[in-house]
Amino acid sequence: MAGLLSGDGLVTILFATAGCLWGILGGALPGISPSIAMALLLPFTYGMEPIPAIVLLASVYVGAEYGGSIPAILIRTPGTNASAATTLDGYEMARQGKGGEALGISLVSGLVGGLFGLVVLVLATEPLARLALAFTPAAYFALAVLGLSVIASLSGKSLMKGLVAAALGLMIATVGTDPVSGVPRFTFESAELLGGIRPILVMVGLFAVAEMLVQIGEPPWAKAEAGDTRLELPGLAMMRRLLPAQAIGCGIGTFEGVTPGAGGTIAAFMAYNEARRWSRNKDAFGKGAPEGVAAPEAANNVVTATALVPLLSLGIPGSNSAAILLGGFMVHGLTPGPLLFERAPEVVWGLYGGLLAANIAMLLLGLVILTPALWLVNRPKPYLLAAILCLIVSGVFAIEQSLFDVALVLGFGVLGYLLRLAEVPVLPLVLGVVLGFMLESNYRRSLVISGGDHAVFVEDPIALTLLALAAALTAYSLWSEFRRKA
Amino acid sequence: MLTRRATLAVVPAGLAAPALFAARADAQARYPVQTVTLVTHSSPGGGSDVFLRELIRHLQPVMGVNFAVENVRGGSGATAVARVARSRPDGGMFYATTPTYIQTTLLSRPEFGYDSLDPLSVVFLDPEVVYTRKESPFNTLGEAMAAARANPGRQKWGAANPASLERIALERLNRLTGARAAVVPHEGGGDLMINVLNGTLDLGIGEVQEIRAQLDAGRVKLLGVLTEDRLSDFPDLGTAREQGIDLVVTKFRGLAGPKGMPDEIAAQWASALATVLDSPAYKAVYTKESLVPTPRLLPRPAARAFTTEVAADIGTSLRELGVAR
Repeated sequence: MAGLLSGDGLVTILFATAGCLWGILGGALPGISPSIAMALLLPFTYGMEPIPAIVLLASVYVGAEYGGSIPAILIRTPGTNASAATTLDGYEMARQGKGGEALGISLVSGLVGGLFGLVVLVLATEPLARLALAFTPAAYFALAVLGLSVIASLSGKSLMKGLVAAALGLMIATVGTDPVSGVPRFTFESAELLGGIRPILVMVGLFAVAEMLVQIGEPPWAKAEAGDTRLELPGLAMMRRLLPAQAIGCGIGTFEGVTPGAGGTIAAFMAYNEARRWSRNKDAFGKGAPEGVAAPEAANNVVTATALVPLLSLGIPGSNSAAILLGGFMVHGLTPGPLLFERAPEVVWGLYGGLLAANIAMLLLGLVILTPALWLVNRPKPYLLAAILCLIVSGVFAIEQSLFDVALVLGFGVLGYLLRLAEVPVLPLVLGVVLGFMLESNYRRSLVISGGDHAVFVEDPIALTLLALAAALTAYSLWSEFRRKA
Repeated sequence: MLTRRATLAVVPAGLAAPALFAARADAQARYPVQTVTLVTHSSPGGGSDVFLRELIRHLQPVMGVNFAVENVRGGSGATAVARVARSRPDGGMFYATTPTYIQTTLLSRPEFGYDSLDPLSVVFLDPEVVYTRKESPFNTLGEAMAAARANPGRQKWGAANPASLERIALERLNRLTGARAAVVPHEGGGDLMINVLNGTLDLGIGEVQEIRAQLDAGRVKLLGVLTEDRLSDFPDLGTAREQGIDLVVTKFRGLAGPKGMPDEIAAQWASALATVLDSPAYKAVYTKESLVPTPRLLPRPAARAFTTEVAADIGTSLRELGVAR
């Protein structure tokens, strides 16, 4: 924390707060992902000193991962990819008039996750970087399989419908440039589809637009009591109840953050799933369980810190957001990598200090922002729905100034509406879209390397362990599912 | 709209080096527009974006106009190309070219392809290097290829992306040596680096800038460079040709504008870019990034001929890979 104690400490805190605020706002807007919120600020950092510039960008990441959960809870619209898992119980809580409590839990869990991640980053960067290096394509494939193993518990009533949804998601992930041969697949000669369909567009369509369509067809909701619209921080008893869920989130977030390419979305889904599995009252999940908010929120905020491990120590960005941060380092003539800690230790420590400041700022800003956010969702329904739809369309358009993206989102909205009518769960679909490319590209890459020999997946110790874990978890889910029904 | 406005970085005219500015005003006719917009498909902080922002810092005092960088992402570059192709040919808007804009045109059928723009100048070549981890038994490209020839089908080589110049280069290397090595494409340089460092791959190919961090730390070593001549910052690194392998990869950075732009404007750019390439301050910047300046390709006719030739070459390669029709 040397950076904070120096003369520039105040400036660092200021930029951490500003970045965090921008991140919360960006994260809360559907369509503006954390990496886009960072990219929007990047040009302004060119003229700044290196430490404030990098702290500013990293704080946006911290703020955005938290901000995404605000609309996820209040209007069932994940502002970021990673907050999709929070919609499950967060929105249920909001519907029961416990929106303020859900927001408080997500804020505190986010803080717990952020601080835990920071401690891990400061203390364990070196050994964790070695773990990241040990991941071969076969291990990444196994990691994706492990991610898919949570489908069973995300499927709700019908496992068959969940599997159909997941298959649909995996199919959507095949659109774009083939990861091995480079042949354009299902692009219909359109340059717009060469890069594939980005998960954020699928999610905004399936959750936000579909929810709008459902709401439009229903009578106005009952107005929440004035008392419900106040933010409520969890008390001591609640904190004790949430601790196991948060701990699960922290553990999974650390692992997923450190391995490049996995990221916050998978961490959040897996944390939700594991929190449910190890909970004493499983049946409360999906019906507004506080633990169902705490686990994914802790996980995706741990990732904001641990995703920096491969970036700082190896110079390898594990996510889009980390890639933008890498750009921020490069602009200032700094190259993250093995030598960064020797050549520019003041920048590294400044960054750590800035992250601490950003996490504390998140708590304070969250307290200030949540009350007006709660007030906002209590406005008359027609105005609110129209405003949200405008926000979604303009947010999506702003990403790449592409009307094609807007059309995609609206199309996925209609798909989401139809799936709701058919009672097909959308979360497995989202998981398929998020994991599909990672699953396929690493599977095929492994086979190119092994010359077509599938033994590569059991010869790699990490891959074998993860695959065994996935098999065990799936078997356990199925067994407990059947036992519950019988 | 938000993105566009926020990513504009305007360098005000006459801020730096007034002496240079005065000298230019005497020597040349005034540039026809006040503000020149340079469009890139790369996001802020990405390769072309950093290239443009560094360039305008040095170009501004020489040309005496305002510059703005606009990041138009989407469509693998096709959106940015379309924006420039539709603009008025008055010297007010250019696109930052890389081989990507040719590849996107060949891999899809965008409304505006690379041939709907008129190349203005080619400023740099980005040298491609072949590298491996420090524990590897190979020290030169020649040694690596000899081992590959001796054990056909056993080597594993990595490239950053499936439909890239790098992958084409490795496939050619396979054909030149008969190594039948597995060519493994990745999702960007980070993935590739991990697999080189952990020994999954025998060697990787990429730009010097991408591997700089590991190179400085001594975790990877360079085997050869795929350019015509040796690099000034790595004088001991042999080219592939010197090591008996006839392989040169041409990755370029330049500018292209809408069709129908007057010759005078192109001539002004060629002379301004030549001045900038010679200035010691800019030289220090691009040498550090291992970029090779191409003063020969600054005039428009040369840039046009070069682009046509490179596009034909990329087209042939993509068809050979079975990727494009």
